[in-house]
Amino acid sequence: MLSKKTSVVAISTLAATMLLTACGSSSNDGSSSSSASKPAENSSTTSSSTTTTPTAEKVELRMSWWGSDDRHEKTQKAIELFESRNPGVTITPEYSGFDGYMDKLNTQIAAGNAPDLIQMGGNIKEYVDKNSLLDLTPYVGSVINLEDFNQGLVQSATFNDKLYGVTLGVNSTGLLYNATMFEKAGVAIPTKDWTYDDLKQAAIDISTKLGKGNYGVYDLSSESGALASYLGAYGKELYGVDGKRHFEKEDIINWFTFWSELREAGAVVPADEQVSSPATAADTSLVVKGQVAIQSASASQLAGWQALTEEKLGLLMYPKGTAGNGMVPPQSGQYIVAYEGTKHPEMVAKFIDFMVNDPEAGDILGATRGVPPAGKIRDQLSTQATPVDQVMYDFISLVADTAPPVVWTQFPLDNELIKLLQTTQEKISFNASSIDKAADEFMTEVDKLIEKAHTPQ
Amino acid sequence: MQKYKTYLAGYLFLLPWLIGFVFLCLSPIAASLYLSFTNYDLLTSPKWVGLANYRAMFTDDYRMMDSIKVTFQYVFLSVPLRLVFALVVAVVLNQGIRLLGFYRTIYYIPSLLGGSVAISVLWKQVFGKEGIFNQALAWFGIDGPNWVADPRYAIFSLVGLSVWQFGSVMIIFLAGIKQIPGELYEAATVDGAGVMRKFWRITMPLLTPVIFFNLTITLIQSFQTFTKAFIISNGTGGPINSTLLYSLYLYIKGFSFHEMGYASAMAWVLLVVVALITGIMFLSSRYWVFYSDGRE
Repeated sequence: MLSKKTSVVAISTLAATMLLTACGSSSNDGSSSSSASKPAENSSTTSSSTTTTPTAEKVELRMSWWGSDDRHEKTQKAIELFESRNPGVTITPEYSGFDGYMDKLNTQIAAGNAPDLIQMGGNIKEYVDKNSLLDLTPYVGSVINLEDFNQGLVQSATFNDKLYGVTLGVNSTGLLYNATMFEKAGVAIPTKDWTYDDLKQAAIDISTKLGKGNYGVYDLSSESGALASYLGAYGKELYGVDGKRHFEKEDIINWFTFWSELREAGAVVPADEQVSSPATAADTSLVVKGQVAIQSASASQLAGWQALTEEKLGLLMYPKGTAGNGMVPPQSGQYIVAYEGTKHPEMVAKFIDFMVNDPEAGDILGATRGVPPAGKIRDQLSTQATPVDQVMYDFISLVADTAPPVVWTQFPLDNELIKLLQTTQEKISFNASSIDKAADEFMTEVDKLIEKAHTPQ
Repeated sequence: MQKYKTYLAGYLFLLPWLIGFVFLCLSPIAASLYLSFTNYDLLTSPKWVGLANYRAMFTDDYRMMDSIKVTFQYVFLSVPLRLVFALVVAVVLNQGIRLLGFYRTIYYIPSLLGGSVAISVLWKQVFGKEGIFNQALAWFGIDGPNWVADPRYAIFSLVGLSVWQFGSVMIIFLAGIKQIPGELYEAATVDGAGVMRKFWRITMPLLTPVIFFNLTITLIQSFQTFTKAFIISNGTGGPINSTLLYSLYLYIKGFSFHEMGYASAMAWVLLVVVALITGIMFLSSRYWVFYSDGRE
């Protein structure tokens, strides 16, 4: 009887323990940096007493980024090089496409197990405000060398006199075009001075000459970047330094009317095809497939996408309006930042410096994240640039030379603006709403977003 | 004392589950109730805002009405269709056909795969503009629309996917039908009842407890549908919010827009609505569910 009772207790305790340990280990897995630090101490103490190998501290880091296969490959190679130079350090990559990248990161930060090294876009400030990023200032000079950097690039990641990120590449958004399609249709490649009328004409010519299933341009009315440059081209601004919008309902009506006219002429991708083949990913973009001549893209995408197709791709400026071109000056496309909760800030800083300043790493990474920020790496690469890279370099310098001298400010809650603009475009392109009504709704919601952004949490 | 010992053993055996339940289910649920009264952006600590989230849901959210409409449309189309389809297949399979086990397995497979991402991806291919479905329609001279990317039809592609996963419901129906005593049918046959009459007078009444069970479970599942809509719409709920099922919108609010307090409030509203509907069904069940053991 007693033995029976004991065994019941034993079994249930065992089961409970197993469950608890399962629980425990999974939560440890998450914050591997914290659990990693302990075995590291143990192993270094044991190795120092028993073996003769130099006691390399074991450091486990994680790094996350988004991008194309080309970028994944290059970044992993750079990580391997860093690991081979720093025995004991392992960096586990976590990479994906951009879809869902930020969602995942937010969840990881909320759960306290974000990667030590994080690639980020233009929204660093949001995370600085929430105290999620490591202050890199103590390492500048001693570990991270920024002497060779354009000061503007350093400034763009500096908040309250503290540095929170290091630029990985200078980038510029613009239009990506399929030169093969222009050639086939016998349409001249546009110059940097082309206008919105030229865009309309070229799109109509290409779609009529190449026939069914081919279109001049994606419906860019849903792209916030395209809208921003359109507003700029007519002397307006999507969002100003003063934290206000500088456009009226009339501008939005003009914008959507321009695209509706193109749609009626059969020159833009039809609404349903745009939904099922979005231009955002290389594997769905119809420009890569040779069925659409123009889409919007950032310059650093060119090399990765060109590698996937026989079609010849190139980069174009957004068209000009009455106030010149509304191009946004080239800026840091991506930063590398460190998670505030990292257990190895020194090693993280060392890796950051390696990514931007090491000549070998520079060779491996090339221009996969845009033009490298360090002057000496840029010089080194320019001597051996591939023709595709050269197109990108030329484009970015062209944008730098011609962009209007406007202090550009990112729209806050960009994520929500993008979704709003897309819904507005879909309402119009699927004929579910008139342009006037859709523009009214758009203005109301934009104002709500701006108000929300300014309301202190 | 003896009794107490038996209880102790019972609770000890229950312990692993109980610990899991309390820490992995109950406390997150309680936390979400608290969070639903706060502004919580995931990164900074939550700030108490009272009922503001609940108020905003019904007064100041242009997507919410779209989302609720789509969700009810989805539930009220997919639940009856799935149940009817499953019942018909169960009745057919019960006709003593050969290889019953084989067919049963075949029809069950979609249910096993159904929740998976892979099937949703496949579905997107099948019902795309150039998909197999439209190619089949083309044989009859019909130029099919882009079922998954057209706001008029997108919801039907989700309903179709849900109906296709009728397997588990069917298995339960089949088991229920097999429980019905054979002599009832024999007696009815002797009295000259036809197939339809036997179905409506014997099968249906005796199957009502199973129908009730299946209806409740399917209804609750349908209100919580997420994966299908997420994959088929690329996580957007588009075009024009036409696939913005409630759970998907909840996800977008919480994880894309960082409004976790608001998303928690949404979750609680969903819980209350589902509980209400389930409650109404239980109340109504006494009028239409028949228990053959005399229980009312």
